[in-house]
Amino acid sequence: MFEESKVAFFLAKRSIVRGNKGTLYLTILIIGMVFVNLIFLPSIISGVAVLFNQQTIDYSYGNLVIEPKENQVYIKSADELQRKIERIPGVTGVSPQYVSGTTIVYKGNEVTPLLYAINPDDDRRVLKIATKVASGEYLADGDTDQIVIGYRLAGNYDERQDVIPSLGGVDVGKVVEVTYNNGVTRQYRIKGIINSDSYDVDSNAFITKNEYESVYGFENQANQMLVRTEETGNEDAMRTTLMAFGVQEKIWTWEEKSANFLNQIIGSFNIINFIGTVVSLVIAIVVIFIVIFINTVYRRKQIGILKAIGIDRSIIIRSYLFQALFIFALGTVIGFGFLAVILQLLAANPIVFPGGPVAPVVDAMLIFRSMVSLLVVSLIAGYVPAWLTTREDILTAIRG
Amino acid sequence: MIIGTDLKRYYGLGAVQVRALDGVSLKIQKGEFVGVMGPSGSGKSTLLHMLGLLDRPTSGSLLIDGVDVGALDEQARTVFRLRRLGYVFQDYALVPELTARENVYLPSMARGMTPQECTLVCTDILGVVGLGDRIHHLPSQMSGGEQQRVAIARALVNRPALLLADEPCANLDTRNSKVILDLFRKLNHDLHQTIVMVSHEEWHKQYFDRIISMKDGLIETDIQGGPEGASGGEPSG
Repeated sequence: MFEESKVAFFLAKRSIVRGNKGTLYLTILIIGMVFVNLIFLPSIISGVAVLFNQQTIDYSYGNLVIEPKENQVYIKSADELQRKIERIPGVTGVSPQYVSGTTIVYKGNEVTPLLYAINPDDDRRVLKIATKVASGEYLADGDTDQIVIGYRLAGNYDERQDVIPSLGGVDVGKVVEVTYNNGVTRQYRIKGIINSDSYDVDSNAFITKNEYESVYGFENQANQMLVRTEETGNEDAMRTTLMAFGVQEKIWTWEEKSANFLNQIIGSFNIINFIGTVVSLVIAIVVIFIVIFINTVYRRKQIGILKAIGIDRSIIIRSYLFQALFIFALGTVIGFGFLAVILQLLAANPIVFPGGPVAPVVDAMLIFRSMVSLLVVSLIAGYVPAWLTTREDILTAIRG
Repeated sequence: MIIGTDLKRYYGLGAVQVRALDGVSLKIQKGEFVGVMGPSGSGKSTLLHMLGLLDRPTSGSLLIDGVDVGALDEQARTVFRLRRLGYVFQDYALVPELTARENVYLPSMARGMTPQECTLVCTDILGVVGLGDRIHHLPSQMSGGEQQRVAIARALVNRPALLLADEPCANLDTRNSKVILDLFRKLNHDLHQTIVMVSHEEWHKQYFDRIISMKDGLIETDIQGGPEGASGGEPSG
């Protein structure tokens, strides 16, 4: 077996070194491109997933979301629960909040966004919304007659530029009228406008929790409580810890809260990616197959001669497999080179998605998977034509 | 050395059946230099293909070097060709990407020799065929005669029991043909190499120990000859 492989390697090496260089280089280039294609799109999809995940944590849910107990609308004794959770090791912030629908009117423009009522200081320890103020300022704990809104909600003077129903281009300092579910209507001055790249956040409105409680007559309650932990990725363990510390409310991880939305996006991308991958691999198999097939057909007589002088068929097939392996190996290296250049270009000029700039995520598993699939395809595409040509009767082959 | 009994090779069926060999029996002794001659379609190449294990007879038996080669499977026939037979083709049939030495190297490598042994034996055999100074040349850099000598070296490198040559001079001019034929006779004489060569050139006869003439798939005449005067022999036309 080893002796046969040595002879096959010898034949393959000489064929590569002294054979047609143009065809060889072109084939290697195509395999390199296929390799790039196998890596690039999945890396962008992974990048999008990472971006959306991080946005979900930073702007929507933190790491954990605590909701009222079964059959309850509000979390009772929210302050006590907040303090209890804040003392748990690994927790870096807790933000109790109310979320409800509301109606906001400005100069005849009426919108019905979600209204978040927050303690601004607590909110800063959990979410990053406060860092994304496009104009004006974020809320402060003592604010009562002020509101912060997302830029999509603020809208544009030219409503054709709006993505959602808006207030028609309201600016910081203007006064809007907010009507609550209980029928109370109050006027608020716009303190700031948020532009976070998060679709949800930029479509919402924010007031202080104190103001909300004064409208509804609530005290020391919350709809939900967002929890930020030191580390992302160990949410399940932190949930267990919170339960061990006596938290009886329902606890969700950010992944559970956003599962449907994210899964839909990733699911759709994966279908595109699957089609792209299959097309790439078909291109690879066809190219290598054609190159090896033409090579073997062109050398049909030579193959017959080799068999006639006692070179075993398996050696000849193996020599073509080695050539296919070489094309794969060099193609992969070239592909890595292309990929490195593309990643550098993308680092300098990132692709901007609605959620923000996307950095491609190239992990070892993705590279490994792409290499293995390309290797298998190369071996099949090298083996089949060699097998087909070498099974021909010696005399028929020699006669051409 | 070779015992062929009632060898038949038929192609096609019914009315279009071609009887390439129609019952050939022959014995060839070790050390003989046999010329197989005859017009086109006489069956000489078919007979050589049988002896070279490149084709199987429709019926009949064939023993080479004591082995019933008809009973061998494809794998065993390949090994038999590698270890006991040497084959020289009309059009040299060298691997174009391999140098002279590498072409000769190939069968010995396939036989399992070490690189040192291969190099030694290749250099040696290329010296025997007179190409000691051309070992690093590619086929495209050599003349037809030189290429054919490389092919002969390749056929001889594993010290075969039987050397088969299928019109080895067909593509060569007279001068190069003479070089090849002289080489065959030298190998036959010095190494006691058994050679069966197909030819249709009358002037080649003087090189053969024995001339088997074929016609219509049968042996017409089987004449013992002698190489006397062959070294000075000239083509008749």
